[in-house]
Amino acid sequence: MSIDWWTLGIETVNVAVLVWLLGRFFWRPVSAMIAGRRAEATRLLDEAEARKKEAAAALDDIRKTRDGFAAEREAILAQARADAGKERAALIEKARADAAALQAEARAATEAEKTAAAAEWTERSARLALEIARKLMARLDGAHVQDAFTDWLVAAIGRLPDDTRQAAVSGAALEAVSATPIEARMQAEIAMRVSKALGASPAITFGTDPSLIAGLELRGPHLAIANSWKADLDRILAEVTHER
Amino acid sequence: MKSPLENTVLFHVGSVPVTEVVVVTWAIMVVLVLGASLAARRLSLRPSAFQAMLELIVTTVDGQIRDTMRVDPAPYRAFIGTLFVFIFVANWSSLVPGVEPPTAHLETDAALALLVFLAIIFFGVRAGGIGGYLRTFATPTPIMIPLNFVESLTRTFSLLVRLFGNVMSGVFVIGIVLSLAGLLVPIPFMALDLLTGAVQAYIFSVLAMVFIAGAVNETENTGKERKPT
Repeated sequence: MSIDWWTLGIETVNVAVLVWLLGRFFWRPVSAMIAGRRAEATRLLDEAEARKKEAAAALDDIRKTRDGFAAEREAILAQARADAGKERAALIEKARADAAALQAEARAATEAEKTAAAAEWTERSARLALEIARKLMARLDGAHVQDAFTDWLVAAIGRLPDDTRQAAVSGAALEAVSATPIEARMQAEIAMRVSKALGASPAITFGTDPSLIAGLELRGPHLAIANSWKADLDRILAEVTHER
Repeated sequence: MKSPLENTVLFHVGSVPVTEVVVVTWAIMVVLVLGASLAARRLSLRPSAFQAMLELIVTTVDGQIRDTMRVDPAPYRAFIGTLFVFIFVANWSSLVPGVEPPTAHLETDAALALLVFLAIIFFGVRAGGIGGYLRTFATPTPIMIPLNFVESLTRTFSLLVRLFGNVMSGVFVIGIVLSLAGLLVPIPFMALDLLTGAVQAYIFSVLAMVFIAGAVNETENTGKERKPT
């Protein structure tokens, strides 16, 4: 067994060259690729971690915003409830005021209606009473009634002031008005009693006015003595209606 | 049958004889370099199954270097990895009919051992300089210089003898069995020879790592011990 030194040398160079070639074309590129993938994986993991943190931060922001929404919603609801309460109280108060006003108006209208009805019934009652009185007076004896009215006329003249009596007889004619025509004898007697009451002898004419019902009135330019049932009833009616 | 101890000279380049071992080595080199360069062109961040296999080889070599030498594998990856791949492919080249493994010849194994011997010196000098590397021979005492020097030669020689003995014996055994028995009988021996070839490639690479790591660590430790003084 011997060593071929040429072969030994060539094989040494061969393996050395193979080490260099494989180092250049295999070991270095493949290990670089592994390192590159590891770096890329690290970068992707870092990026994913950063994205995860960003997502967590965004989630926190969203959660805070949602909490803000809830608080704002509660505030809006509370404000709406308060406004609704105020509006409800105002509406109730206004309704109460309107109801009170309507009640007062209705009460006033009822009172007015009651007053008007009472006045109407009073007037009707008064007119009915007058009508009854007229019908009753018409059935009384005319002579006696005429005498009574003549007495009341003389008494009324006697109650007049002196200057009034003098003015009444100062040259003007007087008219004695009755409800029915008076006989001549009664006219003379009446004229005499009136002249005596006046203290003078004025010219006295006689007339009739059926609306007087009964009575004897004396009328002149400066004198008017209402002495009849018509005048009395008118006065009563005026008093009754005035009282109302 | 031709003896594995014989070198058949195929042709001459000038006065240099080119033996069959050299030609087979060249063929293995061409296959490995072309395959590696073609595979490296298709590398991408999204690996194919083939690229994943290549990366598994690199990762495994890196892991072995890291576990054995306790250093960053990058400076030693090309040398250790190429030693393993070349010895592995050379041992298994016996599968090709008519091809005799280059590692069954003393010159190839001697060349590999010589390269390991030079690599030990190279990485030792790179770690602590020429002085630092030479001082490792004087540890623990200068008396050990002859013994350490002889050790560096004998361990290189042991690499040569171990690889040569295993592969050459396998070739011998298969040749003898082939000459004695028929066609099917040598198959178990051939399978055993393949296993032996893979194991020997692994052992050679691991021993190379151990020797290089020993030189580097001793040089670094010697440098550290000198600095405090």
